[in-house]
Amino acid sequence: MKNRINIAIVGLGGQGVITLANLIAATYHSLEKQVCFNEIHGLSQRGGSVQSLLAVNDNDCPVFALEDTDYLIGMEKLETLRYLYTSKSHPIVIMGNRYEIRNTVYFDLEHFPEEKDIDAEIRKLVKKLYLFNSVDYEKKISFRIKPTNIAIFGALSEFTELGLDPKIAKKNVRKHFAKNPIAQSFNLTAFKEGKSWLKEMNL
Amino acid sequence: MLELDHNIKKKLIIGNHAVVQGLLQAKVGVTSAYPGTPSTEIQTELYKLSKKGKLYFEFSVNEKVAFEIAAASAMSGVRSAVIMKHVGLNVASDAMMAMAYFGVLGGMLLVVVDDPGCLSSQNEQDSRFWGRFAHLPVFEPSTNQEIIDMIQVAFELSEKYNQICILRLTNFTALNTSEVEYVPIEENLPHNGEFIRDINYQIPARYILHKNAHNKLLQFIDDERFTSLNPLIASNGKPQSSEKLIITHGAIYPVVAYLNDYYELNLPILKISAIHPLNEDLIQEMIKPFKYLYFIEELEPYLEREFLAIIGKNHLEQKVFGKKELEVPQENRIVAEALAIPFEHIKGDPTNSETFIPKIKPSLPFAPILTQKELVIPRTLPRLCDGCPHRGAFYVIKKATNYDDIIPSDIGCYALGQVPPVQVGDFWLCMGGGIGTALGFSITNDKPVIAVIGDGTFFHAGIPPLLDAVMHNRKITVAILDNYLTSMTGGQPTAGSPERIAPEQTQIDIEKLVKGCGVQWVKRVPVENIKENIKIFKEALAFDGPSVVIFTGICVIDLFRSQKIFEQGNKKVYIDQDKCTKCGTCLYDFSCPSILKYDGNFVINQNSCIACDLCINVCPVNAILIKGEK
Repeated sequence: MKNRINIAIVGLGGQGVITLANLIAATYHSLEKQVCFNEIHGLSQRGGSVQSLLAVNDNDCPVFALEDTDYLIGMEKLETLRYLYTSKSHPIVIMGNRYEIRNTVYFDLEHFPEEKDIDAEIRKLVKKLYLFNSVDYEKKISFRIKPTNIAIFGALSEFTELGLDPKIAKKNVRKHFAKNPIAQSFNLTAFKEGKSWLKEMNL
Repeated sequence: MLELDHNIKKKLIIGNHAVVQGLLQAKVGVTSAYPGTPSTEIQTELYKLSKKGKLYFEFSVNEKVAFEIAAASAMSGVRSAVIMKHVGLNVASDAMMAMAYFGVLGGMLLVVVDDPGCLSSQNEQDSRFWGRFAHLPVFEPSTNQEIIDMIQVAFELSEKYNQICILRLTNFTALNTSEVEYVPIEENLPHNGEFIRDINYQIPARYILHKNAHNKLLQFIDDERFTSLNPLIASNGKPQSSEKLIITHGAIYPVVAYLNDYYELNLPILKISAIHPLNEDLIQEMIKPFKYLYFIEELEPYLEREFLAIIGKNHLEQKVFGKKELEVPQENRIVAEALAIPFEHIKGDPTNSETFIPKIKPSLPFAPILTQKELVIPRTLPRLCDGCPHRGAFYVIKKATNYDDIIPSDIGCYALGQVPPVQVGDFWLCMGGGIGTALGFSITNDKPVIAVIGDGTFFHAGIPPLLDAVMHNRKITVAILDNYLTSMTGGQPTAGSPERIAPEQTQIDIEKLVKGCGVQWVKRVPVENIKENIKIFKEALAFDGPSVVIFTGICVIDLFRSQKIFEQGNKKVYIDQDKCTKCGTCLYDFSCPSILKYDGNFVINQNSCIACDLCINVCPVNAILIKGEK
């Protein structure tokens, strides 16, 4: 049964986890591959934990055992480590390097680990880590759209093991943002950025 | 989209949209709902379609009204559906219980989506029980294709036996995206019918109608289309040689089937999708070849008890392993890892009691620790959005009240006001429960009582308790946080939405409505006028009788959706470090997530700030400034 690919996508509300899941699934669907995904999120507000589990070559059950994760896509460091801590598997991780500061830190309500400790832990638990510099990338864009999720999608489209087609993936990005030309152009640029980032990584 | 032949297509859709597709294929003319996650996508999609004239849909003022609209439509011979979340059905149940006695003419479906794990609800209920309670048949599909197909069966049977059917989904089935085959519906679906007076509806001896409801259920029990929804599924097509049988229900069948494969158990599974009523004879027939029955259910052990009754009554000898023996959690949503221990029990020897010694320590509710952890990962608490107008109202309430004052809150975004660090609100109960409990607190406590409620919730269930406050002249203050939307579910219109948001509706003025309820002290204030609002709120608190302050501000969802956010250009809010006295009011009292502390200075995170201006009005020394105004 292991021609299934299990992909987990984690992040915070507003970072585009569900959009990314939708785009990955749409691309597999266009390629006539069976795919399904599930959304785990709470309220519509931004900032809460969001998770999506996606299974390729299966049309029924995207809820897989945590020891069976092949790829983990993280939009934020702490949420990525949260998933890795509950997982027995050592997945390939593609992650944006943002560590979002939750303002509960100032109220002594929670203790937040140091960024370097999180980094060390993540490195211990992964099979391979692809770290996208989303902080610098988002700084470069002085606009209210932060398309790190689409940049990561661009990178994923270049993973041969995943079998996504970069051309169809790009077409889906264009289609997804068709209603908003400004967002569309930002996201298409992000897609390209992610693609070339991964090519550099693989060199 | 892949084309199969000229009228069947394959499409990747979310479970909630599969419901919409099912309703369209069943040619449903009238639909109604009150927003409620996890059922919201059904409603917003129907709302969109209704605007194009495809069918009738309305966001009703609450679930009970929505139910009554659908019921009367079906009584007039038009197929109808009403959509709500599990707690919405509590509100609608008054109408449902009696409506089950009458039955319907035109076919009616009640779609209810449960929220195991309380991801966006005040509690987690198992709606399967409503079927038994109200004498209504319950369908529970597993996949998106089954959602579409079962809706067709439900309408056919609903019309055949003149009874309302319930379709129960959970946040798993409703938010699962997968491929379906579907038939596109080109035509618009009409909603004209005819109510025919029937003496049955007027019978005073209602127990006779009660009997009718029972009789209708008997017809469902014997209907093959209904009972065939409970298939015995052999694993990998292998012939039955097992003594063990897993019994589960529609919503979590895919997870159970996945784990059955994953652990290479290959056991047969009895999947119950026609939850109520069960056909006893057929069930007996199906479980007869097996010695050991393993029940895996999300939330309550509903089937376990139904089956135990059948087994007991018929003196069968099957041994039952249920919630307790298998350690299947009775709370929270069922995810794969929560079933790791239950499957270990199933793997074990059913004749050896050692196999069923509890593995979960009471202190570890569900997920066993799987890896060695170096760091403690803190919770990510849900919070009000950056730029949420409610935060301005909460700041005012905080400053105008004392720590000991009692503040019951309500169901909506503003319930997050209780989450640290904002912390305004002592608890929340149910829709409208804030004002209702405020009345009780004001009778029993000699302290100021402040009820917090949103606009949507006020229209839904806040008016009767406010009338009660006027009737009995209770000294309470009600803060209505009006943002013209049902925001928590993603921004659906309320009765108070302006034309810009809901052009098809007539806007109701909350202020006039509150005055019409007889409240003597009412003030509507814009949320930005923070300093002035504190004075006004103190006046309201001093008034001897019920007083209402309506805070108005635009929801962040609205800002993004209307693209107003893009109109702000390069406007930036920043803190002038020379003027800043480091008092910390902006961070510690106002607590916008975009305000951070960095090297002892308070700074604004330009990455998340939406330049809403609220914090500018909070700063006591005017050190928060705007630059680059367009």
